[in-house]
Amino acid sequence: MPPIIKSLSFAALAGGLALTSALAMGKVLQRSAARSSHQQPSPERLFEAPAPTLPELVARGRTLFLDSCAHCHGADARGDEGPDLHAVQVSDRYIVNIITRGIPHEMPSFAKKHGADDLTALTAYVRSLE
Amino acid sequence: MDPTIWPKVHGAAVHFPLALALGSGLFDLAGFAVRERPPGPGLHSAGYWMMVLGALGSVPAVVSGLFMTKGSLLGHGALRMHHLFVWPAFTLLVALATWRVFTGQRASRRIFAGYLIAVAVAGALMTAAGYWGGEMMIAR
Repeated sequence: MPPIIKSLSFAALAGGLALTSALAMGKVLQRSAARSSHQQPSPERLFEAPAPTLPELVARGRTLFLDSCAHCHGADARGDEGPDLHAVQVSDRYIVNIITRGIPHEMPSFAKKHGADDLTALTAYVRSLE
Repeated sequence: MDPTIWPKVHGAAVHFPLALALGSGLFDLAGFAVRERPPGPGLHSAGYWMMVLGALGSVPAVVSGLFMTKGSLLGHGALRMHHLFVWPAFTLLVALATWRVFTGQRASRRIFAGYLIAVAVAGALMTAAGYWGGEMMIAR
């Protein structure tokens, strides 16, 4: 093998190894974050009926979402700084608790900003995301 | 642990590989222009060590970024754009430093010109990544 090919292969291998290590570390951190976050399924979802996803309620929820949540979760709720909210495996009560209480060091509480009607609409919107 | 530590560490760490890699390219380019033979004691030597330190410095930059985003590898919006430039830049930087350490000192002038072009590409990728990183800070 010519020396130039050999040295380039070695360099490419080192670069690939560095990238693979970083990606693997990212995956480990993602799993760790998911374990300690609200992305894990909550058991009560099995026993509670989900909120109705009436079109007008969903529309109102989307308006509220764009105002309060989109800058972290993305305008399409596909996640940005905050996680993707599509098809979350949690109960409605869990969603409401997260919005009202927040998550320490991760997400602020919106209890003062959104009342019960808003929470119902926001939950319906999150529930409508497939 | 203070959860805001990682953005601070990331903000501090990212500037070292960016400055060192760009500086390395400039020193090596100057050495190439004045036909200094690597491994010379002057310009190429400075370029060599700046590239090695830049690649080493990219590791804490990447690790702190991963901790800051809780392992997000791509994300959305500005974060996605940032990552689209970061990953090729990181890979290229490590590959270039590895090549430089093991082969670069013995490379012909023609091959070294190719190395300089690759350093310029890495610098452009890192600059673009830095731009989108800055966009995220402004968006806050």
